[in-house]
Amino acid sequence: MNKITSSMTGNVWKILVNVGDQVEIGQEVVILESMKMEIPIESEISGKVSEIKVKEGDFVNEGDVLITIE
Amino acid sequence: MSWQPEVDELRRREKLAYQMGGKENVERHRSNGKLPVRERIQRLLDKDTFHEIGAIAGSATYQNGKLVDFEPTNVIIGTGKINGRKVVVSADDFTVRGGAGDLTSMEKQIYSELMAYELKLPMVRLVDGTGGGGSVTSTEDSGYPHVPVNPGWDYVVNNIGRVPVVAACLGSVAGLGAARVAASHFSVMVEGISQLFTAGPLIVKYGIGEDLTKEELGGVEVHRSSGVINNIVKSEDEAFEQIKTFLSYLPNNVWELPPVIKTEDDSNRKEEELISAIPRNRRKPFKIRPILQMVFDKGSIFEMGRHYGGDTVTGFARLNGYPVGFLANDPYVRGGGLSVESCHKIERFVDLCQTFHLPIVNFVDQPGVSIGLAAEKQGLIKHAVRAISAIYQATIPMVEIILRRKYGVGGAGMSNAHRLRQRYAWPSADWGSLPLEGGIQVAYRRKLESSENPQALLEKLVSKYESFRSPFLTAEAFGLFGIEEIIDPRETRPLLCDWVEDAYSLLPQQLGPSTHSMRP
Repeated sequence: MNKITSSMTGNVWKILVNVGDQVEIGQEVVILESMKMEIPIESEISGKVSEIKVKEGDFVNEGDVLITIE
Repeated sequence: MSWQPEVDELRRREKLAYQMGGKENVERHRSNGKLPVRERIQRLLDKDTFHEIGAIAGSATYQNGKLVDFEPTNVIIGTGKINGRKVVVSADDFTVRGGAGDLTSMEKQIYSELMAYELKLPMVRLVDGTGGGGSVTSTEDSGYPHVPVNPGWDYVVNNIGRVPVVAACLGSVAGLGAARVAASHFSVMVEGISQLFTAGPLIVKYGIGEDLTKEELGGVEVHRSSGVINNIVKSEDEAFEQIKTFLSYLPNNVWELPPVIKTEDDSNRKEEELISAIPRNRRKPFKIRPILQMVFDKGSIFEMGRHYGGDTVTGFARLNGYPVGFLANDPYVRGGGLSVESCHKIERFVDLCQTFHLPIVNFVDQPGVSIGLAAEKQGLIKHAVRAISAIYQATIPMVEIILRRKYGVGGAGMSNAHRLRQRYAWPSADWGSLPLEGGIQVAYRRKLESSENPQALLEKLVSKYESFRSPFLTAEAFGLFGIEEIIDPRETRPLLCDWVEDAYSLLPQQLGPSTHSMRP
C-alpha cells in the first residue's frame, strides 16, 4: 500500500479521483490551496485508489496522508 | 654501476600495489556492482594524466630479507586532469580492509588535502568504506586506545574557501568517510551501491537499539532530501560526469576567474513562449524549469540539490558562455515559500558563488518565509535571516528578474536593496509587504469589527486594493520602494547576456578569498 501525502500545509481544495480509479505516475490526484494558490499533487506511483482520507475543505499539515494507492 | 635493479624492484612493488586487496577481494567488490578504485580514477580523469604519489606505501611482509607479500595503503592519491585542468584526487580502496584507516592512510589523506591547499587545485574525493576512519582494532595494534583526530582537517576546512572541493560517495560510507563527503561544495551518491551514515547499522543497533539495514539507514531514499548529498545518480560513470560538469563552471581556485567558454547559442534569442509562461490567473502555479531553459544558454543548466528545500531551485548555468549561479522559486512546492531547508540551501549556494566569484541571477516568485505553527516551531525566521545575511554579505554582482510574487521579509531579502538595485520586473510581477488576504483584515480590523456589513466592506476594500495591483504604478515611483524597469519577458535573455558582461568586468578586482570564508 502506498500513500500520497500532502507536500505542504494548507487546505484540500479539490479531490480529482474516486475510490477504485486507476491512476498513473504523474497524474494529478488532489489540488491543495495555500496562500491563495492552487497547488496540484501528483501521484508518484501507478495503481488503484484504495482510500481517500480527506475531504474538500479539510486543513492538512505537510506529511498528512491524503490518498492511499494499491 | 647501474641502478637498474632498484628500478626493477620499484616496478615490481608498483605491480604488487596495483593488485589492491588481491584478486578475491576485487572480484567480490565487482560482484557488488562497484568499480575497483584504480578503475574509478581512470574513468574520472583524462586519459594518461594520473600522476600517483606514494603508490608503494603500505605493509610489507619479508621472508629471509626478501619481500614476499605487500598490502598497499588503502588510500590512493595524486594529481590528474579533468577536461585539461589539473586536480588533486584522493580515492579510497574498499578492497583493502574495507577502507579502515591506519597511520599511512591518514598521512596520505593529509598530504592530498595539503596538495590541494598549497598548489591551489580542486580537490576530488572518491570516498568508500570508512574513508580512513578508525577501528577498535587500532587499540590492539598499537597497545593503547587512540584519542580521535580527524586527519588534515585544518586543510579540509580551509580548502572550502580556496578551491572547489567535490566528493563522491561510492559505497557504504560511515564516520570519517561520511564527514569527508559532507565537507565539500558538491557531493553525489550512486543509487544501489551507495549508503552514507554517521555510524553503520551495527553501531546503531547496539548503541540506540534501532535495527535498520544499510539502505534504510543511509541509502539514496534517505539522502535524496537530507541536504548531505546534492545529487543522486544512477551509475558511477554518471557520478564522474557530474563531478566534471560541476567543476566546468568554476575556476581552479579563488584567485582565478571562472572559465568562460565559446557558445553557439544566440545571445539575442527571444523565446515567444515566455510572453505567456506566467498564468494570468494568480491562483495557478507555473513550471519554473522550462522558463530557465528558455533564458540560459542551451544545455548549460546544472541543477543541484533539487529535492532538498525544493521550493527554491539552485544551480549553475551560462549566459553567452559566462558561468553564473541562479536562484529561482518552484511554486509547485509549498507555493514556493521559504523553508528551513531552502534557507540553508540559499545560504550555502550564495556563499559558494561568492567564494568562486560567480555572478548570481535570481528569478523571483517569492511569497515570503513560510507561515503557520509548524514554521514557527522550526524557528524559520531565524533560518531566513541567515539566508538573507548571505545575500547581503555577498559582493558579487546580482540581478533580479521578478517573474511574479515578491512579498514580505523573504521576498525583500532575496536581493540587497541597498546596493545598486538591478531589478527587472515582468508584467506579471506582483509585490507588497503583506498579502492582501489577511493584510486587509489586519489593517482595517477596527473598521471591519464595527461595521454594519463587514462582508460588504471587506469586498469594497479588496476591490480597492486590487485596483492598485499594477507594477506600472510602482514603476512611476522609482526609488527604494519602486521598480527600476519593467520588461517584455521575451527580452530576458538578451538583457541578461548584456548584464553578465558588465558583471564579469567587475570580478577581477574581487579575486582572492572572500571577505567571509564559507563553511561546508
